[in-house]
Amino acid sequence: MPDRKKAPKTSAQFEIPYIQPQKSKLANGMPVYFLPGGTEEFVKIELVFLSGSHDQQKPLEAFSTMRLLRAGTQSRSREEINELLDYYSAHLAADPQKDLSSISLYVLNKHLEPALDLFREIIQHPVFPAEEVRTFLTNQQQIHLINQKKVQHLARTYFGELIYGEQHPYGYRVRVEDFDALDSEDLQRFHREHLDPGNAFCLVSGCIPGNMQSLLDKTFGDLKTAQTLSGEKADVKALSPGRRKVHLEVPDALQSAIRVGKQLFNRTHPAYHRLKITNALLGGYFGSRLMQNVRQDKGYTYGISSNLISLVRSGYFFIATQTGTEVTGAALGEIYKELKNLRTLPAGEEELTSLKSYLSGSFLRSFDGPLAQSERFKELLVFGLDHSHHDEYLDTLKTITAEEIMECASLYLREDDMMEVIAGRPH
Amino acid sequence: MIAFERKILENGLRVLVHRDDTTPMAAVNVLYDVGARDEAPEKTGFAHLFEHLMFEGSVHVPRFDYELQHAGGENNAFTTNDITNYFQSLPARNLETAFWLESDRMYGLDFSEQKLETQKNVVVEEYRQSYLNQPYGDAWLLMRPLAYTVHPYRWATIGKSIDHIREARLQDVKAFFRKFYHPANAVLAVAGNVDPQQVYALAEKWFGDIPSGAPNQRQLPAEPLQKQEKRKTVHRDVPQNQLYMVFHTCGRTHPDFHATDLLSDILANGESARLSARLVHDQKIFSELNAYVTGNLDPGLLVITGKPHNGVDMDQAEDMLWKETQDLIANRVADRELQKVKNRVEATQTFSESNLLARAMNLAYYELQGDADLYNRQTEAYARVTADELQRVAKEIFRRAHASVLHYLKNPGA
Repeated sequence: MPDRKKAPKTSAQFEIPYIQPQKSKLANGMPVYFLPGGTEEFVKIELVFLSGSHDQQKPLEAFSTMRLLRAGTQSRSREEINELLDYYSAHLAADPQKDLSSISLYVLNKHLEPALDLFREIIQHPVFPAEEVRTFLTNQQQIHLINQKKVQHLARTYFGELIYGEQHPYGYRVRVEDFDALDSEDLQRFHREHLDPGNAFCLVSGCIPGNMQSLLDKTFGDLKTAQTLSGEKADVKALSPGRRKVHLEVPDALQSAIRVGKQLFNRTHPAYHRLKITNALLGGYFGSRLMQNVRQDKGYTYGISSNLISLVRSGYFFIATQTGTEVTGAALGEIYKELKNLRTLPAGEEELTSLKSYLSGSFLRSFDGPLAQSERFKELLVFGLDHSHHDEYLDTLKTITAEEIMECASLYLREDDMMEVIAGRPH
Repeated sequence: MIAFERKILENGLRVLVHRDDTTPMAAVNVLYDVGARDEAPEKTGFAHLFEHLMFEGSVHVPRFDYELQHAGGENNAFTTNDITNYFQSLPARNLETAFWLESDRMYGLDFSEQKLETQKNVVVEEYRQSYLNQPYGDAWLLMRPLAYTVHPYRWATIGKSIDHIREARLQDVKAFFRKFYHPANAVLAVAGNVDPQQVYALAEKWFGDIPSGAPNQRQLPAEPLQKQEKRKTVHRDVPQNQLYMVFHTCGRTHPDFHATDLLSDILANGESARLSARLVHDQKIFSELNAYVTGNLDPGLLVITGKPHNGVDMDQAEDMLWKETQDLIANRVADRELQKVKNRVEATQTFSESNLLARAMNLAYYELQGDADLYNRQTEAYARVTADELQRVAKEIFRRAHASVLHYLKNPGA
């Protein structure tokens, strides 16, 4: 019998197998990055436009534009496009976000060329037929109404409004009437002004064929530069920090959703790496203090986490959980206690070593395969960073001390700076 | 295509290895041949509650998650009606840690009243979060006992009610472990940057001395042929009605399974599929529609579910779905449409293979069905399905007498 009490030797020294992206340009100047690799014969082509809901004139404009690119083009109907995409088993994923709008094509190499022909049409010549727009918005409105019955959805949307303000594009909470106020022309305008090669880059990952560059030139090389721009939107100032709370009473709720957090900064800030590690200790993985205390010790919840979100012009921190209504107050008390402990109770040697080993492994995992690496590289491009950003993180991870973590917590994560949303039965 | 090697230890543990030198990671998957279908009707939700206890420390290793995190690993598990599946992902150079941890919790658990109490609370919160405090969250708690009368698929993995979880006792937990958690009732699959000989040696070292029990020879009551349509209507605080129709089908290992699965794909896989194209986009009866097979190992269900627009009569909406099923009986599916769904099956399988963990999981799951290589023969099995077969299987499945229908309605006046 092996000595079961003795842990096998482990190492936290990992070489990250970076794929160095090969950069090139299409005829219209749009940058393309190739990240070859992987064992399966398929390729992912992602087109990233650096405009999102932040840059729209009306609510839901960016979201609807990206989702409806495939709803009809100058020469093909929605039915034809869908049939062809499905026949070539090309998976098209639109990802409309706050600062960027991306659309990805996943396709087996053997169907690549016909799929790219369709991709070209969808990106370059969508018409957003009025009837398709109406059907889409009506159906999305139904989903919106169902979401209003979910405490976690309420907490999430009210939290955004609370920390940024309802006038700010990052804080805007979609209303039911917004789905009635949008039409085909709005989407055509968003498409015309924002799906611009000067405002975009392309990432290709997976099993990349030799003629990919020329295929891409045929697909996007003649994508036109925007003719008119509505101009920069007047900058709305985000709300100042403070201690604001929203408690939403949801009658008959069995659980309350809790969000506690504040506005902070994004990954370009000098303290970001330290903050990321500090956040992980608090609630960034299963072994974190919040998870161990609120779930594993108290049994108040199925899950609890703390998170850092990077936006291009800002960033924020939040803790999220759902708890039984009878223990909502107790869980909230533990959340504030752990925030206080984060700046007063140093991580023991064991806790710190375990955290660092976990984060090293997790970092390695986040680079596993060309698709994952493409995702990491996209983050760098969007924030104007390069690979040294990753190296700095690994250096910080190696050297950070328990004192530095406490200092970071007392600078950025003080419990009395936090805003709070509870949806359910707050009292 | 997942290349693999196999070795069976003397104690019955099946070990599968898939080597991929392009990744620095390893995925380790341990599947136990036990699921919610093995529970007693008065003690449901037990397999899943037990899964939670597998993370609460074993005889020699008090802190499972801590040790794995220390090796840079991550893990989770899931329970279905058929199986309980545990998986880890960690840097390949720390592979032995996964063997140490998985083998020790197969060797023996460190049970305690207090750990059981806490995890009962966690599972009660999971029950609320996933089933009771979500719009439409209880639909499957209603649908299962409607569709099944005797087979244990009549309850969900989370359990029939919160009371069953609250009533779980430590002695039940221990008996469950002895019966189901041993080498002959498990499949171990390892994928990643690993050497098969090293994997076999580690398997011998860590699992070799764990005594075996009897494999799970289940004798479950077969669901009798349904002879009459079953219907149920409920009212809930939701903003839109939802319709659920389910039909009894064969199990996953039956020769008709692939045709059954493709029938659901013709109805609802992809934006161009019939239900979405005809009833969401053209006729605008529904705001969303879906169809799928449950894919269980014992005879399962083909599910059609959708939300009719507010103002649409539920019976009329249901009729539209019946028409679509009758179309599959009356008319052969065109060659191009059949080829389309086959192409999608092939692509979905290839896309999923880019995920290392998915490769380990699939090997273990198909080994449980008799041979891990069945996984590699899936695309081919789908490719062989003919339009005539689809029509024949559609005739068997889409009968009123085999259907259960749930009208999940919004409260009157809401």
